[in-house]
Amino acid sequence: MDEKPLKKLSRRDMLKLSGTFFGGALLAGCAPATEAPAPVVQPTEKPAEPTAAPVTEAPVAKPVSGHVVVMHLLHEFTEDHVAAFQEANPDITVEVVDGQDATRFFAMYAAGSPPDVYRLQAPSIPGLLARKLLLDLTPYFEASQLIDIADLAPANDYYKAESPLEIGTGKIYGMCKDFSPDCTVFANTAHFEKAGLPAPDDTKTMSYTEIMDAAKKLTVFEGERMVQYGYGYDAAWIDRFWMNILAETGGSLYAAGYEKINLTGSEDAKAVAKWFYDLAVEQVTPSPKNPSPAGWFGNDFVGATASMAQYGFWFSAMAIGDANKDAVVMLPGPTWTGERRDPTVTATGAIMTSATQVPDAAWKVFEYYHAGQPSIERAGSGWGVPALKSQWSLIPQGTDFQKQAYKVLQGELELNTPPLQFNPFIGETVVSNAWNLYLDQALSGTITFDEMLTNIENDTNIAIKEGIDRIIP
Amino acid sequence: METGVTTKQLEQNESGKRTLTRNQRRTFTFYLFVSPWLIGFVLLGVFPLLVGLLTSFTNYDGLNLATVKFVGLGNYARAFEDPDVSFSLVRTILWGLANLPLWLVLSFLLALILNQDVKGRGLFRTIFYLPSLIPITAAVTAWRIILEKNFGMFNASISLFTPEPVAIGWLSDYSLPGMTSISIWGGLGIGMVIFLAGLQGIPEELKEAAQIDGANSWQVFRHVTLPLMTPVIFFQLVLGLIGSFQQLNLPLLVTKVGIAASSVPPRPIYLYMIHTYQQIFTNGRYGYGTALLWMLFIGILILTWIVFWSEKYWVYSGASERDN
Amino acid sequence: MDAQQKGFIMKRVTRFSGYSLLILTSLILIAPVFFMVVSSLKVDAEYLTYPIRVFPTTPQWQNYQLVFTMTPFAKVALRTALLAISTAALSAFISSMVGFGFARYNDVKGNKQLFGLVIAMLIVPFIVILIPQFILYARLKLTNTYWPWILGALAGSPYNIFMFRQFFLGFPKELEDAAEIDGCSPFQIYWKIFLPNARPVIATVMIFGFMNVWGDYLMPSIYLNASKTLLGVTLAAAFKNPQGFDLKAISLAASVIYILPMIIVFFFGQKHILKGVVTSGLKG
Repeated sequence: MDEKPLKKLSRRDMLKLSGTFFGGALLAGCAPATEAPAPVVQPTEKPAEPTAAPVTEAPVAKPVSGHVVVMHLLHEFTEDHVAAFQEANPDITVEVVDGQDATRFFAMYAAGSPPDVYRLQAPSIPGLLARKLLLDLTPYFEASQLIDIADLAPANDYYKAESPLEIGTGKIYGMCKDFSPDCTVFANTAHFEKAGLPAPDDTKTMSYTEIMDAAKKLTVFEGERMVQYGYGYDAAWIDRFWMNILAETGGSLYAAGYEKINLTGSEDAKAVAKWFYDLAVEQVTPSPKNPSPAGWFGNDFVGATASMAQYGFWFSAMAIGDANKDAVVMLPGPTWTGERRDPTVTATGAIMTSATQVPDAAWKVFEYYHAGQPSIERAGSGWGVPALKSQWSLIPQGTDFQKQAYKVLQGELELNTPPLQFNPFIGETVVSNAWNLYLDQALSGTITFDEMLTNIENDTNIAIKEGIDRIIP
Repeated sequence: METGVTTKQLEQNESGKRTLTRNQRRTFTFYLFVSPWLIGFVLLGVFPLLVGLLTSFTNYDGLNLATVKFVGLGNYARAFEDPDVSFSLVRTILWGLANLPLWLVLSFLLALILNQDVKGRGLFRTIFYLPSLIPITAAVTAWRIILEKNFGMFNASISLFTPEPVAIGWLSDYSLPGMTSISIWGGLGIGMVIFLAGLQGIPEELKEAAQIDGANSWQVFRHVTLPLMTPVIFFQLVLGLIGSFQQLNLPLLVTKVGIAASSVPPRPIYLYMIHTYQQIFTNGRYGYGTALLWMLFIGILILTWIVFWSEKYWVYSGASERDN
Repeated sequence: MDAQQKGFIMKRVTRFSGYSLLILTSLILIAPVFFMVVSSLKVDAEYLTYPIRVFPTTPQWQNYQLVFTMTPFAKVALRTALLAISTAALSAFISSMVGFGFARYNDVKGNKQLFGLVIAMLIVPFIVILIPQFILYARLKLTNTYWPWILGALAGSPYNIFMFRQFFLGFPKELEDAAEIDGCSPFQIYWKIFLPNARPVIATVMIFGFMNVWGDYLMPSIYLNASKTLLGVTLAAAFKNPQGFDLKAISLAASVIYILPMIIVFFFGQKHILKGVVTSGLKG
C-alpha cells in the first residue's frame, strides 16, 4: 500500500499549520469506535502490520482512551499543553506529575503504578533497559502519522538499543524532545582582545591545550578576588566528556562489558583527567574551592565574568546579556587528538514504561509532545535542535549571532557523532559526584592527584559491582 | 458519697452497680485523650516504619523490586567501615555545638526583651520573625549575595579596609561559620516566638507577688520566670538537638551548582544527612542509606532520652506535684 | 535629688541602649531580606557579578508580573492557603487534646512510654517512611488528594503534642483539683480551663502549622499531581528556563510575594493573641 507518500504529504502540511489542525488530523486519523470494546478493525488510516513481527503488540484496534500519567517537568509540559491535547483528544485524560524528584518515581513504581510517559536523559536509558522498565515503541513509531523514522535526528539514536550495552541501533524506546551538540564553546571576544589573544576563529577547532593556554591568559585576579575566569564546563558531565575524548581514538573509560572503570590503568584516561584537574589547580575554572559566583558558569558568562563557556547550542538562546553584547561567538567543540566528535551528552527526551496499562493513549500523548505543536514551539524558541530533521528549518536565524551560531551548529551536526555508550550499572552522577568529592580534597592538599583518581576508580567500581548485583539476578 | 481521691478498691454505689476506681477512670480518660494520635500511629505509622526498617536490611535501590536481596546486617556493618560516616558524624556534632547554644541563648534573649512593654514591639517581633518566614531556597539565594567568595557583600566590605581585595570562602573553606549564620538567622524567629509564648504563660500575679516581697527584676527573673520557663527551654533544647542532627537542606542548597545533582558540599559541612543523601540518591544505595538513617535515629533517641532523664532535675512541672 | 536624677538617667540610658540593640539587631536580620528584594528586580546575569553592585541597573518590575503569568500562582496560593489554615486548626485542636492527656495524667501507667513513642516519631527521618507511606496511601487510593494532610492533622503532630504537653505541665495542680471538686469532667477541665489559657501556644502552633503547609515541598511533590499541587512545589519547580536552570530573580520575586501574606498574618496575630496572660483560676 502506498502509505509512505501519503504520510509524508500530510506531515509537511501539518508542520506549516497551527496546532488545532494537528488535533483535527489526529481525530480524523483514528476514528474512534465508540461502542464495542471488542477488537474492531480500525479505519484504513492505520497502515498494515510491519512484516518483521515485533515483540510488542502493534497498536491494537481499540478505542484510544485512557488516563495517562506523564512524569515531566512543570515548566516543560505545561497546563496549556494538557488543555490543548485533551481538547483534541476528548477520550484521553492527562495528568502531569512533576519529576524533579527521583523519589516520586521510585514511590510510584513501588506502589505498582509508575507513570506511563517518563521524561529522562540518555544516560539513564541503559540502566532502565537492563531493568526491563522500557516499552518497545518501534511499532508505534512505524505506524505513526506524525513521525517518520527516517526523519529522526541522529541524536535519537540514544533511544535505540539492541541491548543495554548496544545503544545506537535496534528497537526504538523513545525519542528526544530536542538536543544540542554539547561540546561547543561560547567565547567572549572582548576578553580575548583585552588579553592580547587572537580573536577566536569559528572555522577552526581549538585543541584542549590551546584552551588551557587561553584560559590561563584570560583569568584575571584582583588580589585574592577572582574577577574573571577563563573556562567553564559542566562538572556534572565530566565523565561524559572523558568518554567523548577517549572515543576520539576508539578508547573507552570502561573495560569491556562495562564491569570496571579504567582510570589509573589507562595513560590516556589519566592524561584527560589531569587536564581537567589542572584547570582547577590553575584556578581558571569553577571548582569546589572556587565556586562559580553566579551559581553556575552560564550566568557568569552572560555577566561577562567568564570568558569561555562550554555548553551546547541551546545556550545561544541566552548567551547574550548587557555585559557581553556584540562580543559572543559560538565555536566548534574542541578536540584532543585532532579527531572531531561532538555528540549530545544528555539527549533529553522521554520513554514509556513497560508497566503502562494504557500504551495506546500514552503513545498519543508522547507523539503530541514530541512531534506535535509543542515540538514546533520548541523548535522556534532556539533552545535546542529539534529532534525531527524536518523541523531544523524552524531554528531562529534572525540576528547575526544566531546566524553565526547556526553556521557552526551545521558543522557540528554534520559530524554525525555516534552516541556515547553509558554504563547501565551505575547512576548518571556516580562518577561526577566522586570527582567533586575527591577534587575538593585534592585541591586542599589532603590527597594527591593519583590518590584522587584511585579513589574515584574504587568508588565507581564498587558501585558498578552493586549495580550488576541488583540488575542481573 | 464516694470521695474517689484515695479509694483503690472496687466499690459499689447505691444501686448496686460497680464503678471504676479513680485510677481506672484516669487511665481510661488518659487513653481517650491520647487516642487520636494513638490510632493514627497504629493505622498510618506502624506499617511505613516496619517497611522502612526492613529496607535497611536489603540492597534496594529504588527500582530493583524484582531482584531485591536480603543482606541482613550488611548495611549496618558497612557503616562502620565507611570513613565518611565517622567524618560526617563529627562534622554534624560540631555543627550542633556551633548552632544550638547560640540559637537558644539569642532567641531567649530576644523573647525576653520583646516581652517587655517596648514601644513598637509588634513591629520588632515581626521583623525578627521575618527571616523564619522566608523559604530556605530564597534565603540561601539571598545569603549567597552576602557570603559569596569573590563578589559577595561581606568580603567586599572587608576589602574596603584591606590593601587588596580579600576572597574568603564563607561557603567553601569556612562554611561552618557561613552556614551557621544562615541557620541562626533563619531560626531566631521561631525560637523567639516559642519562648514568647512560654513567657506569656507565666502568671503576672506570681511576678507581682515576688516584687511585693522585695525582689528586683533580676531576682524575679532568676526565681520566678526562669524556673517556670524550664519546660519551654527543655522543649527547645530537645527539638534543637533533633534538628541540628537532621540538617540536610542548607548545605545542599548552598553548594548547588546549576541543576547539577552531583555537587558535593565542602568538607566542613559534609554532614551526616548529606552523606546519607548521597548514598541514596547519587549511588542508589537506598538500603544502605536507610540503615544509616536508622543508626542516626538511634543516636538521636539516646541523646534525647538522656535529656529527658535529666528532666526531673531541672524542669519544673506543676502537674507532678501530686502524690506520685 | 541626686538619687532620683541618677535613677532617671539610668532608666534613660538602659532604654536607649536597649532600643539601639533592638534596632541594630533588626538591621542585621533585615539585611538579607533587603538583598532578596533588591535582587528580585535584577536581571539574572546581575545576581552576583563584577563590578559589584547592590542595586539593579534597570529594575525589572516585570519579574513580579512574570510570577503570575509563568505559573497559576494565585490559584495555587489560594488552594494552599485553604489547606494550610484548615489543617493547622485541626492539628492544633487535636494536638492540644493529646498534649493535655500526656501532661496531666503523668501517673497513668504507659504515659511515659507512649510519650517516648511520640518523641521517637519526631526523630524518625521522613525519607525512611516516605515510600512505604506512599504505597499505603496508594492502596487506599488517596494519592493525588489532600487526605494525607487531613489524616495527618487528625492524628495530631508530634511537634504540636510535645509543645502543648510542655505548656500544660506548667499549670498548677490546684486548678485541676478545684475544677474536679466543682464537678467538672476531664473534658470540661480541658475545654474550660486549660485550653482558653493556652492561647499563646495555640497561636504559635497555628502559625507554624500554616507555615508548614504554605511552603512545604516534600509532601506535595510526593502525593500531588500538577493540577492539584501546592505552593511549595510551584516555588521550587516552576521558575526555570527551558534548559532547567533556575531563574533566580523571578524565584526571588515569587518568594517575596509568598511571604507577604505571612507577614501580615503574623503582625496582626501576634498583637492580638500573644498578649493573653494567665490570670484566672488562681485566686481562691
